[in-house]
Amino acid sequence: MDDALELPNAPPKPVQGDEPDENSSGDEDSGADWTKLSSLNINRPIIPRRGEKEFEPAPGGGSGLQIHVLDRARSAMFDALRATRSTSSKAMSYAVWYPSIARAHVTLSRGIHFTSMGHSVPRKEENEEKTTKRLELLPEEAIYMIERGALFCTKAGGAPMSAQQAFSEMLGTEDMTLEKYQVYSYLKRLGYVVTRATPPSPFYPVTPPSSTSSTPLRHQSLFSRFTFHLTKLFSRFNWWRPLCINPWLRQHMSYEFIYKSLRFIPSGHNAPLHVKHTSASPYKIFYHLYKPSTPFKKTSPPPPDFSVVVVDARVTQMPTLRELDDLFGELPELPPPLSRQRHPQQGPQPARNQLPPAPPTPTTLWSWISSWVFKEPETPSPLPRRPNPFAALKAGKRIVVIAAVDAGNISFFRFGQGGFEDWPMM
Amino acid sequence: MTTDSRPIPIRIANQRAYIWDVDDIAVLRSQHRLCGILAGTLPHLSQQNVFLGVPLLLMPEEVVLLVEKKFAVLVNDPNAHQAPTAPQLQKWEEERDEFAKRHIVVNDTKISQNAATRSMSEDAMRKRKERMERKAAQPQQPPPVDMIPEESPAERTEATPTTDSRPSTPSSNAITVAYPVIIESASSTLEWYDTSAATYNTIEAAQAAGIWSYPSNLSERARCGVFRGLWEQGYFLGGGIKFGGDYLVYPGDPLRFHSHFVATVIESPVATLRPMEIVAHGRLGTATKKSHLLCGWNDEKKDVSYLSIEWAGFG
Repeated sequence: MDDALELPNAPPKPVQGDEPDENSSGDEDSGADWTKLSSLNINRPIIPRRGEKEFEPAPGGGSGLQIHVLDRARSAMFDALRATRSTSSKAMSYAVWYPSIARAHVTLSRGIHFTSMGHSVPRKEENEEKTTKRLELLPEEAIYMIERGALFCTKAGGAPMSAQQAFSEMLGTEDMTLEKYQVYSYLKRLGYVVTRATPPSPFYPVTPPSSTSSTPLRHQSLFSRFTFHLTKLFSRFNWWRPLCINPWLRQHMSYEFIYKSLRFIPSGHNAPLHVKHTSASPYKIFYHLYKPSTPFKKTSPPPPDFSVVVVDARVTQMPTLRELDDLFGELPELPPPLSRQRHPQQGPQPARNQLPPAPPTPTTLWSWISSWVFKEPETPSPLPRRPNPFAALKAGKRIVVIAAVDAGNISFFRFGQGGFEDWPMM
Repeated sequence: MTTDSRPIPIRIANQRAYIWDVDDIAVLRSQHRLCGILAGTLPHLSQQNVFLGVPLLLMPEEVVLLVEKKFAVLVNDPNAHQAPTAPQLQKWEEERDEFAKRHIVVNDTKISQNAATRSMSEDAMRKRKERMERKAAQPQQPPPVDMIPEESPAERTEATPTTDSRPSTPSSNAITVAYPVIIESASSTLEWYDTSAATYNTIEAAQAAGIWSYPSNLSERARCGVFRGLWEQGYFLGGGIKFGGDYLVYPGDPLRFHSHFVATVIESPVATLRPMEIVAHGRLGTATKKSHLLCGWNDEKKDVSYLSIEWAGFG
């Protein structure tokens, strides 16, 4: 019997606002209910659940109730939008924007943002002879700080910059586009540390090159690779009698051997692509992404957790095989994902530990001999478990995240390079 | 809401269209059925992506429609941001200092009022006195905001004009009393923001000036035509990239209503349509309880023909 039927008094399940609703999937824009925002305490904001929507307005522009609810939702939204950027004078940082070098010079830095943003650059002051190191922000960093209300930015003459002016004048400099900035601020709002993958200037801190060399095979010439495969092919077995049974090599007569012998077409990502290089591709790794939990040191950033490509969805085609291959060629190979422990460690077993330790038996000669002779066979230490091939295939050997931005709508896609040749099923 | 005949200024920078004034956003949504997409960080909710703030980003199709209907004009935003004259800047600085002083005075009176109301018991008085003494002993008290200030005098260069132009409130006050500093969101509040020489009334004029290029080819013309066609029938439209189409078509404001259609723009009435597309659109539309709308644009007649796909659902 169904438990729910036997308990007629069970309270009804609370309606979850973020369950996939009946009429639409949960991803629609403007799905959030702004009316729930206004009642929130500003100091401890809580993100409310998604509101519920209706199918369509009643004929004639909607019923009175529909119009009322809509007006309420709209005015809540506009009220939230009218919030001013006001920060205490003790927490405000200050910077000067120099359009000629596309950098904001931070004259007074406060707050924890600067542990992961900005870099120091030696610059020659206009009136001085010597160069001094100073903290500078890239355009995206400056706009983000202004948007948060944490940075008061001025032009060189002392004129204050509004958020609007920052968008108008800082975007379009130093390879920064609106799409890239939107991805940047989206990820920053989620708490990620975001840095440029390609340093915009020699003073920008970069990740030290990792010791793991990329596959050397990729850099061989086409001909040598071809001959390599050819010789590999012929050295392995007799072409014309692939399943010929050699009586002296019976140990090879397993299914594994047979299947291996049948795999004579070169496979895997090390095989050359017979696709020509196209002209400049929009698919370039632009950001390095660090999870909030990754220890991040600004002056020597660790290897990134993710690499992000940003494209304008309106003008960019799906990535070609060559473009994906080029992207993966820049990325380090990842270890296969750790297999989940089937039996989690039971922790300290209290029942056994609470027993008083057994009194030490007197070591007599006999007991020593008997322990030596009748020694129980040692249980072999468990072999390191082979990772689940499907998890490894799903995760991919190399991962790149592509953010496609369509007029403000950001979609993130994760492309993984599946290493099928590494995980033969037989 | 009263009908406003003033054309809405759309701020154009780097070929992108923004709306910065909340009143304009309200007019667009309530009167013109155009939503755009909010793209900025809300200052008081800055660590989430569910609710975003100004600027409102307009789709190019929305911009073309607004300008063609004479609801809006285009403003070349970088040019409209003039450099302030010396008196303007001085006036702004005075106003800012005045604001800071006024706030400090208000705070002081608040504190003394609180003290008056709170002085009930001897015990409370004593505790309060102790607190005051402790405060006086350590001049650097933590600010009321959740950020911990890291004074780094090394990074503070005295020669730059910013440090000079920072509020010159009495130094004794400046150390202990915090006051809010406001960063303006829209430039229209700034006195030196001047759009008169940077405004374009038509798409052609803006294209000639080189600040706007949409629509520049058949595909973009088709998109504008379809967008306009659906909008004129009273629908709200949103971006449809997450549903495998070009637009989502809503019967009412997307704040309150679900979309009924996912629309795809087809550039020509004789364009080839592959069976796979029909299957994919039908499949995705059915899964999300929407019909798929194929919108064929006829560039010669400048009209649109619509065809919707829905799975018949015979079991």
